[in-house]
Formats: sequence, C-alpha cells, structure tokens
Amino acid sequence: MGLVLGSILLASGVVVFVLYPILKGQWAAQDRQDDELTEAEARKRVTLLALRDVEMDYETGKLDEEDYRELKRQLSREALAALEAVEAERGEAGAVAPDPELEAQIAAVREGLREGRTCERCGHLNERGSRFCASCGAQLPVTAAAGGDEAGA
Amino acid sequence: MTILGELALWIALPVSLFGAVLAYAGGRSGRGDLVLSAERAVYAVFGLLVLASAGIIAAFVGDHFEYWYVWNYSNRDLDTFFKVSGLWAGQRGSLVFWALLLGFFSTVAVFTNRRKNREFMPYVTGVLLTVMTFFLVVLLFAKVNPFERLPFAQADGRGLNPQLQNYWMTIHPPTLYLGFTAFTVPFAFAISALLTGRLDSRWIVLTRRWTLLSWFFLTNGIIFGMRWAYEELGWGGYWFWDPVENASLLPWLTATAFLHSVMIQESRGMLKIWNMGLVTLTWILTIFATFLTRSGLIESVHSFAENTTISFIFLGFLAVATTISASLILWRREALRSENEIQSFLSRESAFLLNNLIFLGITFAVLWGTLFPLIGEGLTGKKVAVGPEFFNRVNLPIGMVLLGLVGVGPVIAWRRATARNLRRNFLLPLLVGAAVVGVFAALGSRQWMALVTFGLSAFTLTVIVVEFWKGTRARARIEGEGALKAFLHLVGRNRRRWGGYIVHVGVVMIFTAFAAAAFKLEVIQTLEPGESVTVESPFGHTYTLTYEGVSTHLRTRNMAWQAQAVMRVQKDGEPAGTISTEKRMYLTFPAPVTEVGIRSTALEDLYVILANAEDLGAALGNDPEGQRATFEVQINPLVGWIWYGGLIITLGALIAIWPSKGSLPEMRARTRPAPGTQEAVA
Repeated sequence: MGLVLGSILLASGVVVFVLYPILKGQWAAQDRQDDELTEAEARKRVTLLALRDVEMDYETGKLDEEDYRELKRQLSREALAALEAVEAERGEAGAVAPDPELEAQIAAVREGLREGRTCERCGHLNERGSRFCASCGAQLPVTAAAGGDEAGA
Repeated sequence: MTILGELALWIALPVSLFGAVLAYAGGRSGRGDLVLSAERAVYAVFGLLVLASAGIIAAFVGDHFEYWYVWNYSNRDLDTFFKVSGLWAGQRGSLVFWALLLGFFSTVAVFTNRRKNREFMPYVTGVLLTVMTFFLVVLLFAKVNPFERLPFAQADGRGLNPQLQNYWMTIHPPTLYLGFTAFTVPFAFAISALLTGRLDSRWIVLTRRWTLLSWFFLTNGIIFGMRWAYEELGWGGYWFWDPVENASLLPWLTATAFLHSVMIQESRGMLKIWNMGLVTLTWILTIFATFLTRSGLIESVHSFAENTTISFIFLGFLAVATTISASLILWRREALRSENEIQSFLSRESAFLLNNLIFLGITFAVLWGTLFPLIGEGLTGKKVAVGPEFFNRVNLPIGMVLLGLVGVGPVIAWRRATARNLRRNFLLPLLVGAAVVGVFAALGSRQWMALVTFGLSAFTLTVIVVEFWKGTRARARIEGEGALKAFLHLVGRNRRRWGGYIVHVGVVMIFTAFAAAAFKLEVIQTLEPGESVTVESPFGHTYTLTYEGVSTHLRTRNMAWQAQAVMRVQKDGEPAGTISTEKRMYLTFPAPVTEVGIRSTALEDLYVILANAEDLGAALGNDPEGQRATFEVQINPLVGWIWYGGLIITLGALIAIWPSKGSLPEMRARTRPAPGTQEAVA
C-alpha cells in the first residue's frame, strides 16, 4: 500500500514539476538576449584579436616584415569596417558595452586609426604606433607607443 | 530505498521521452512554455537518476543479494568503498551511471544557459533528452535492468573480480564516462546549430570549454587505465591495444583533432563541414565505445549472441544518429561553405589540417584493428588475433610525425609563413634534436625508432620553451613589465594558447616515456632464499635483489591464502629497502592473482613479479625447504614520466579551461564577414 502511494506521489510530483510552465503559461525566451554579442561585435573582436596575434607573430619573428605589413593592412581595414558596423548597430539599439577592458583597447585602436599618422609618401592613414605605412611600406616617424626598434628580433 | 530507485528509473523514461518531444515542438513552434517544460524535464530526469543510483548503492551497502547485479559484483566481505563503486563495477550499473552523468551535464548545460544562448536551447535540450531516452530504453528493455531480482535471495554474493579491487580501477571508468558524457553537450549544440541554421562559429565558442572539459576527462581516464594495467595486470606494460583500451582511445583521437581544427574555424572561417563531421564522429565514437565495452561484444561474438537485444538497440541507435547527423550536415552544406582558402602550404592552417589527417588516420587504423577480429570471428567462426604488432607498426611512425608537428605548429604563422622565417625559428630546435640523437648514438644505442623519438621530443620541447621565452620577452618589451609579470600576463591573456603549449609539454614527456620502453630490461631467475639476482639498468645503476623468503597467510578476510615473497634491494651496493610481490587466492575467484612489487624513481621503475612458486604447498606450509621461487625482474625506464606527463597535461588543460573574463578565447566569436570586407579577406 505504502509502495503504491509512494509511486503515485513521486510520479505526480514529477509530472506537476515538468508541466508547471505549460499550465501557468510561463515562457522561456527563445531569441538573443541583449547582453550577448551581436554578430558585428563578435566580428570586431575577432579582427582586433587577429591584429594582436599578427603583432605578436611579428614581434616573435614568425612573420616577415613584408607579410606583416600586408596582413596588418588587411586586418586594419576589416577592423575599421567592423567598428563602424557596431557603431551603426549601437546607434539603433543603444546597447551597453559588455567588457570595459576590451572597450578601452578598441577605443585605443580607433583613436589610433583616426589620429594615426598620415604617410608622408602616399597619404595613407595608419594606426598609431605603426612602424611602416600599411599601404606603401614607407617608414613612418617613430612614435612613443611603438617601443623598441628591433624589427623582427 | 532500492524499490524507490527502481521506480524512479521507470518514471524517468516517459519524462525524458516526453521532454524531448516538447523541446523539438517548442523549437519548431517557438512556444517558450513547451521549451521551459522540456528544460524542467532535464532537471527531473537527473533527480530521478540520482534516486535510481542511490537505490543501487543502497542495495550494495545493505548486502541485498536478491538483486542479480549485487549478487554478481559484491559479497559481504567487500570493502564499503568497493560496494559504493559497485554502481559502475559491472555492465548494468555502469549504464545507470552513464545516464546519471549525462543527466548531470545536461542539467549544468541547461541551467547555465537559462538566460543566454536561448536560440540554441530548445534543440540542445531536445538532443540531450533524446540521448538520455536512448539509455533509459536500453536499461529497461535490453535485459540489463540493474534492479532485476533473483527468484530467491542469495546468502552471499559472488564477489568482485579481485583485479577490479584497485584504486585506479575505481576511478578509471567514472573519469572516462565523464569524458564521454560531457561530449554530448558540444554535440547537442552542433545539432542545434544545424537545425536552427545558426552556422557561424558561435556554437563552437559556446561549447569550447565543454569540449576541453570532455577531453580533459578522457585523457585522464585513459591514463588512469594505463596506471591500473601497469600496477595490476602484472606484465610490466601499460597498453596492450586490447579492444577495451582502443574503445576509449578512439573518441579521444577525434576529440583531439576537433580541439585543433575548431581554432581554424574560429580564426579563419574555414573547415566548417569538417568540424561538424568531427564533433558528430567523436560523439558517435563515445557511444560506440560504451557499446563495445558494455554489450559483451568484446569478449567474443558468442557472448554477443547471448544478449542480442542490447547490441541491436545500440547499433540501431548508432545507425539512426549517424544518418540524421550526416543528412543535416549535407542539408546545410551551402551555409557551411568555407569563408577563406588556405593561402599557403607553409601556414599554421595547413599544419593543423595535417594534424587532423594524422589523427583521423590513427583513428581508422585503430578502429580497423579493433573491429577486424570481431568481424572475422563473425564470418568464419574463428578468432583472428590482431596483436599489438599491427598497431605498433602502423601507429608508431604516424605518432612520430605527430610529435614533430607538435613542434612545428606553434612556430608557423597563421595565413603564411616564409622559408626564411622557418629557418630562423627551427634552426635551434633542430640542432638540439639532432644533438640528442647524436649523443645517444655516440653512447652506442642503435634503437633508431626510440632515438628519433627522443630527438623529436627534444626538438618540440625546445620550440615550446623558446616560444614561452620569446613571448615573455616581447610582452616585457611592449608593456614594459618585469619578466615574471610579463610571463603571467602572457599566459593569462591567452589561456588557450599557452595552456595548450603546457599540455604539449606533457604530451612530449609521454611520448618520450613510450620510446624509452625500447630500453626495457627483463631477467627471469629461479632463486632459493638467500640467493640474489643482479640487474644493470640503462641509466647505469646496478640493482641487486636478494630473495629473503615467502611469508604466507591462510584464510584471511577474503582470501584463501596469500603468499608474499620479499626481496632485499641494493642499489649500486647501497641498501635500498625491500620489495615484495605476492600471489593471492581470493575466495571468490577461480585462479590465483599476482601482485607486483614496484619501486619507482623519477627515471626508472624496478618492477618485480612473482612468476612462480615452485612448491606452493610447501611454501604455504612454511616449509623452509619449499621456498624456491621464480622471479621476473624488470627495469622499466621513464615509466613515471607517463604519470608526470599526465599531471602536466592536467595543469595545462585546467589553465585553458579556467574561466576568465575577457580572456582571449572568449572573444573569438568568428562570424560571417560584414558586407564590404569580403575582398579584404580574399
């Protein structure tokens, strides 16, 4: 008798627990939540991180100067496009930045891109701290942020 | 308690099945209440499985020998520790345990995603509950119910196989199962990505830590199994390419390939179909491994015939799961097209691709060698043995290429590397590698396979060390930090990369240990008490073992008798303690088992096996004339490095898994390129 009663209690407890949302009309969200990365933001992060990787590969001697410049030019363009896409998105949604540290870095890069040095030879706008012009390869005046001068140590 | 457990198992099946249906329906119709209900079903099934497992443990601890399962895997004399672990000691309980762990990981996955990644969750819940339903069907309908009762209660159980009464054997299966079941989560996300059409790399980023966690458990599970074999099986080896071992290795191989290839997708938007294929294949292999080890198929095709139900359920499920996954990938093949192409053969992408091909090559070689005898037996009725020779001949050269790639991978740049860079980066490591081979050759060693492996290990290790050094230096220079701070920041800011390199160090150690097995020494000698045997180890130490005699115990707690042979050890003439090795006759096991004596140092193990007591009756009667015994004395060089390497892998894996806000891998959500940037990438 106790066994039958126990079974019924256990089974009905489980059934009520599982069906509760349907009975009460509780809904789970099924779309992207506000604090999650949008595609444009994800893309922005990836390009910025790829830029960081390229810097690292160059610093540790895995990339030749010529390839470094080429990759950096590509990635800088991608990064700028991504930044603008995020800007546009944010203008619509007014979302809050999820990660202050990364945002600071992004701000620095953007500032670099905006306030970067114009190449004296071809007029290309380079990210701040660039050693060489990303477009024509001419050497740029050394800036403080660039640090040492051991190219490809 | 046990009745309640049995009841819980029966309630779990309809709840799980119903939950799966709700989840798919909710996903298709967009009805959030159905989805929420399905997620509650996940929690409920997990709770019910906790009850079921507690019921089994209660039956073991309470000596309820009216249950077939308890009767077969326990007896009154068994330690409580082994009674609790009886939950996974045999096929029936371990299937419940499998479901329990799957329920646990499903619960964690659903709970941690209750407010995020919602677009994936309906189908993730659906897939998790589908797999769960499958295991519950097996448990309840494949004649493997652990709650099956005998016609009458037995007075005592038949006891646990003494070889399973070992610490490592107790933690080995749970660790492997944790790895197997955790991998269901990435698989569920992959299927959800296919079903919802969200085929950017988000599912990979979301499941990255799950994949690492699963890999971490699989790796440790395999190493624990090796440790058990080494200590308990008493032949001085740790890997015999037997089907049970192979079964656990197969998903590890593909999971390792997957861990590497996802990085190409994240950073370059390539290999999307490949990754979908790998995650599916790995998951299928985890189920296949469970099937191989837990269906009785391995012992013989004939035992397979004894319970065909479980085999057919498993094979049917595998066939259906493979077909559905493959169809989904095929259906989405357009959306899974690669965003980029490999720009140069000399690039990290192509090194990773080669790594993947090698892992798959080994997977198929091992799969073939494992299945061939079974298929052969099925067709001809005769057991065809595929011994370790086959596996070693095929896999050693491939493994050596892999070891070399571990060294090449980190140094070669993404997208493109140039010959000049490679020369500059590889010069020092190659010199170190060559020097190591040269030194060994000069010392007169002609074990070329082992020498080349040592050389490759040295090469790879040098690459990693230089990589750490250069990275630290570059960071110190750019950020103006001190060396230690720069080093810690370097690792902290890209945990996956540097954690991965630390894992590689452990892998190099383990490969070195494998190669060192070529220098193993073995002496078999029959001794009277007082006589000695002398062995000179490859590291130049001389061990002298003097046989002291046998001491015996009759009728101990769970043994009929126990004969312990003691030897006094001298290392290079200095006393170095004693070592003992035993024969034991358990009351519940038909044949005597051997306990080996092991004396470990960082470089070599002294491993002594009591091969034979010439006159066992006299020895057991403590007759001084009957103490003659035959010993097998082995020197196993560098075996300890496998266990140390395992610890280093654990450390590296934990660094890579550990959550950290804003760490690099978190951010690598590669998505489709925004319009207008396509030409910049191409």
